[in-house]
Amino acid sequence: MTSPVSVSGLTKIFHDESRGEVRAVDGIDFECKGGEIFGLLGANGAGKTTTLRMLATILLPSGGHATLMGHDVAAEPEAARHSLGFYSASTALYPRLTPRETLDFFARINGFPSDRVNERVTALVARFGLGDYADARVDKLSQGMKQKVSIARTVVHDPPILIFDEPTVGLDVLNAIEMRNVIAEFRAEGKTIIFSTHIMNEAEKLCDRIAIIHRGRIHACDTLAGLREATGHHYLEDIFVYYVEQANGH
Amino acid sequence: MSGDDARLARTRNAVGWPRACAGRLDVLNGETMADIPSRRLHDVWVLYRRELRSALRERTIVVNSVLIPVLLYPFIMWAMFTGITFVQGQTEGFVSRVMVTGWPQAHAELKRNVERDKRIQMMPARDLATAQRQLKTGDLDAVAEFAGGATGLADNFTLRVTFNQSKERSAAARDRLAAMLDRYRQAWLKREASSRGITPANWQLFALESRNTASSRQMGAFLLGMMLPLFFVIMVAVGCFYPAVDATAGERERNTWETLMTVAASRGSIVTAKYLYVATLGCVAGLLNLAAVTLTIKPILSPLLAGTGESLEFSVPLGAVPVMAAGAVLLAGFIAAGMMIFASFARTFRDGQSMITPFYMLILLPVMFLQVPGIEFSLGLAAIPVINVTMMVREAISGTFHWPQIGLTFAVSLAVIAALVRLATFILRFEDVMIGSYSGSLATFFRERILQGKKSARGAEGIRR
Repeated sequence: MTSPVSVSGLTKIFHDESRGEVRAVDGIDFECKGGEIFGLLGANGAGKTTTLRMLATILLPSGGHATLMGHDVAAEPEAARHSLGFYSASTALYPRLTPRETLDFFARINGFPSDRVNERVTALVARFGLGDYADARVDKLSQGMKQKVSIARTVVHDPPILIFDEPTVGLDVLNAIEMRNVIAEFRAEGKTIIFSTHIMNEAEKLCDRIAIIHRGRIHACDTLAGLREATGHHYLEDIFVYYVEQANGH
Repeated sequence: MSGDDARLARTRNAVGWPRACAGRLDVLNGETMADIPSRRLHDVWVLYRRELRSALRERTIVVNSVLIPVLLYPFIMWAMFTGITFVQGQTEGFVSRVMVTGWPQAHAELKRNVERDKRIQMMPARDLATAQRQLKTGDLDAVAEFAGGATGLADNFTLRVTFNQSKERSAAARDRLAAMLDRYRQAWLKREASSRGITPANWQLFALESRNTASSRQMGAFLLGMMLPLFFVIMVAVGCFYPAVDATAGERERNTWETLMTVAASRGSIVTAKYLYVATLGCVAGLLNLAAVTLTIKPILSPLLAGTGESLEFSVPLGAVPVMAAGAVLLAGFIAAGMMIFASFARTFRDGQSMITPFYMLILLPVMFLQVPGIEFSLGLAAIPVINVTMMVREAISGTFHWPQIGLTFAVSLAVIAALVRLATFILRFEDVMIGSYSGSLATFFRERILQGKKSARGAEGIRR
């Protein structure tokens, strides 16, 4: 049985004028199963966002393969994107559209059956409590409301795979908790979720399996229990430091 | 189970996806090749509608693409012609203060004529030095001195008028004296000829009689043809300008570019929708401007024409309307593609504006050259982008249709548009340009990626085929 997300030897090389060739992602492998939250845990600049951007087909891999629902992200980018909802701090909303128009647009452009779009939009407006603001322009909404619209936008076409790239960055505690609860709900609905973070607490609470990524390479990938057993450390922070030090040759 | 759901189920089974997660239509799976063009069209339509909906809520775009084309040139023309009428009225209204010396005895009638003219005020005679000083300070408008005639005949005279050409009042005083003298001379000659039994027709041996065969409608079309093409190009360019920046750099600045990159539409559909959106607003701006100027020029010009006895009719022949509409589409198509190529490299709105401005100036230059009188719409001109459409519109307004030139204009414009769109698509295949991380300009891009063929240039490995 093919995994919804399968990554093999995925590599991304950038050419930087001052640093020369930079291997931002260096031959990583992992698979994600249906109904699990797969965490990518790494420090800033570890290669999390580049990996997720390749999965979202924003960046073209320099090497290796990745498939979403069996579609190769390099060879069939449109088919791969059909199966995907992508959320990150850099995926903003159109400020001059209303939440209802935003959801309608993303549902239609992502191939949701047009005769069911209205029903789907209405359901998401109700689910995320957007009713009072559904017809106000997005640029008039509060940060919390924008976040809800963004999540609804990500899932409006009901994709089987969801990517959340550091979704709680910049959110206050309550909004961050709400975000984590929503992600957990999506897992309960059977979605495959890839969740990147550098916050240990979040990964501990939310992820079914965690991949520790450092300098473009995955150094460990297991459940929290498995990582504890392998390292002899209890806290994820200690586990993370253990692998980073090992990678740095300490 | 609906057809959509059946296709979905097949997809899920193919990849071993658990049924619990089913619930969406994966359009690409189970889709035949024949379905792909219609899906692309659907995507372009959805994206295009989104672009337009957003744009029509942006004040800058509405002002530049709708309000300015409708209001700006009618307002500028109104202000200009009202200004001219006002200045003319002012000039007509004031009295010329003139000092005259040495009135000839034999021409007392001339003196009476000047004294009767309410627009001329005779100032007391002073010495010439004082008069010159007053002329300089503006207390006097002209000094007229009668002297003996050059032929030596007793009744002949020369009127020497000293005035200041740089002053409106002074120049008007000189003109009034010259007109007065001319009328007096004609009357004098007529009277003298008559006393000798010669009719004016006999002593005016050579005469000019001109007849204007142009109808008031043709004269109106001529004037419109001089003005409209220039306004038209400017307005199409203004109409495209902000949408082109908004659709590229604006998206990057608002962080919506990456959101758009993750939708299931192809990159080609995204670029096509953006291009059509920019071209639509340019086309709308051009057509609105043509309509606004055509409809408002008559009431604007009527005060100016009131005193001349001229009657002009400003209307566009019905046959010109489709040609003008096609011209707007071609011009907007060309300008939109050009502007989007330049704006593709911009990361902020300000970047976009400065990158597009040279292209904007470039397309206006040849149109200035068209104001030179006597230029014919030749096959050579029909092969030059922008100029060809401008000439085609100019001729259509006056009811002239040179079909070979029009055909060539269409062929050249469509070929150039196709080449530019292809170039835009080629440029946007480079990953770093597409995601906005390329820091160079169009010129740098050509130097690095085309001329030098640098394979290792940033992002060169990220070209989507």
